[in-house]
Amino acid sequence: MRIFISGLRKLIGRPASFVSVGLLVGLLALILIASATAGQSSGARGAAAARQLLTFPGSYDFVLSFLFGFGGLVAVTFAAAIAGSEWSWGTLKNAVARGESRARYMLALFAAIAVMVAVGLAISFALGIGVALVAANIAGISTAGVTDSDTLARLPAMVARGWFAVVEQAALGFAIATLARSQLAGIGAGIAFYFGEGFAQIFLPDIVKYMPFAVARASVDTGAAGGGGFGGGAAAAGALSPDTALVLVGVWLVGSLAVAVLFTERAEITG
Amino acid sequence: MTTADGLSLATRGLRKSYGKRLALDGLDLSVPSGVVYGFLGPNGAGKTTTMRLLTGLLHPDAGTIELLGKPFRRGDRKRLFQVGALVESPSFYPYLDGRQNLRALASAGASVPAGRVEELVGLRDRARDKVAGYSLGMKQRLGIAGALLSDPKLLLLDEPANGLDPAGIVAMRETLRNLAASGKTVFVSSHLLAEVQVLADVVGIIAAGKLVREGTLDAMLNDQGVVRVRVAPAQLDAARALLEPMAAVERTGSLDGDPWLTVHLEPARAAEVNQRLASQGIFASGLESGTDLEMLFLELTGGENKGSSEGTFRAIDIAGQGQGQGAGQGRGAA
Ligand SMILES: Nc1ncnc2c1ncn2[C@@H]1O[C@H](COP(=O)(O)OP(=O)(O)O)[C@@H](O)[C@H]1O
Ligand SMILES: [Mg+2]
Repeated sequence: MRIFISGLRKLIGRPASFVSVGLLVGLLALILIASATAGQSSGARGAAAARQLLTFPGSYDFVLSFLFGFGGLVAVTFAAAIAGSEWSWGTLKNAVARGESRARYMLALFAAIAVMVAVGLAISFALGIGVALVAANIAGISTAGVTDSDTLARLPAMVARGWFAVVEQAALGFAIATLARSQLAGIGAGIAFYFGEGFAQIFLPDIVKYMPFAVARASVDTGAAGGGGFGGGAAAAGALSPDTALVLVGVWLVGSLAVAVLFTERAEITG
Repeated sequence: MTTADGLSLATRGLRKSYGKRLALDGLDLSVPSGVVYGFLGPNGAGKTTTMRLLTGLLHPDAGTIELLGKPFRRGDRKRLFQVGALVESPSFYPYLDGRQNLRALASAGASVPAGRVEELVGLRDRARDKVAGYSLGMKQRLGIAGALLSDPKLLLLDEPANGLDPAGIVAMRETLRNLAASGKTVFVSSHLLAEVQVLADVVGIIAAGKLVREGTLDAMLNDQGVVRVRVAPAQLDAARALLEPMAAVERTGSLDGDPWLTVHLEPARAAEVNQRLASQGIFASGLESGTDLEMLFLELTGGENKGSSEGTFRAIDIAGQGQGQGAGQGRGAA
């Protein structure tokens, strides 16, 4: 518990935490404001689509799908940076030399990351919805749908699924950076994996649909979502059902953490 | 703390390779409790590797470690709660300040308030600055502070003097001596003989992964004692013949005046040497006694690259004039 609290404290002060949320909110705001501008000139091409993005309750789905899509990529790099720097900076060495359990240290660190992901998503969601409301006003779209009770009712479950999926992607970045024993290599490999998987999906959809990023996407794709984020095609034919995907998300999450922990347990720390 | 045999730390036949590179080749250390132990060796001798094994960062290929009186094996990490260590370079979160870094370390248990160790290492005023802005010396001091945080019974410091200024080195020496005086054991590595000579009670010299000499500094200095006499060139051979029965004698060159004879004898017997020469009518124009641990260290470690698997810096004459001198040569009368 004390390592977890300490891990949380370390992450709160960390520039990477702010940069991650800033990136997420910044890009989301950019899209929303751009949509507002496009939506104003009703004659323009794409104006209808832009207005749809800004129309509540649909905007909830858009904001969430963006956060769970692009947020996955941000989470991969964030967690890779955290895990990698433990090796690059030699701070894991400190903990081990002080008698800390390697496995517990890594798990506590990841638990802190998972909490940070939740906080980051919550902040981004609140700010994102705020910007969406402003953007809707700019475009002159009614925001009455913001209190749509149906949507609000299914929001908690969606958010929980999304958080779980983003945490799984964080675990993947965490494991990759641990294997690479380096911050930069971990971030690089994580990003490459993310886009590589999206790309491979075009050619090998039947295999890639079981891969970590694809299952993360599928697990949050519970219907209304307006096709989100990055890295690829939503719901192709033969896609996994959201619940099957959710189970696989759990498998990847546990698997990634197991790899990270086992590797750390066995590693020779010479940094 | 004190074990049946009075050792805080012992290794037997410790071996460790990195891939094909053998770093430790059967290391036997015996570190008594309550002393400052100087672990002396040139670059690449295996000092840091030893520290890593003692702190569970690496595991030995063969051999055993006894830490604070009990065998130290893979599962015995909790023993390290009583050990404070600074291995290789000090490691911190650069975006946190000194105090926050100490607090992060303390998550693994601390018994001394951070403020006190900061004071001890002279970082009080800079404790709230980010470590990214610290000089090497400041990081080193923060690293030492971190090692002291758990009030350890055994302190393992890997070349702690690195990056410290002369005042810092003196202060650190004082601190370590005080710790030993209060019953703690301090195991400190260095590649500088002079540093170890003024700091340690017991010295172990490591070269190429093996312990080549271990003992109290006093005993080692005695073993390495030399008496030097300076006699007229005409009497040199007679003097040598007289002294040879006492101990090994060699002629040492001198740039000016009479030549020197070096007798490998404990320093306390200088008068005896003088008397023996005088009794046969040979009067020394100079008499010195002292120790030559440095000679030993260089002999053990330097020379034709024999001591160090890494090799060492060799003096060469870049201008191509005169003779190049290897380390360890060209020492005049001490
Ligand atoms: N991480 C490593 N990988 C490979 N070889 C290493 C590593 N660390 C040290 N060595 C080698 O092991 C030997 C001992 O190194 P080290 O213990 O660092 O010596 P010292 O601390 O006395 O300078 C050297 O030959 C060094 O090159
Ligand atoms: Mg070293």
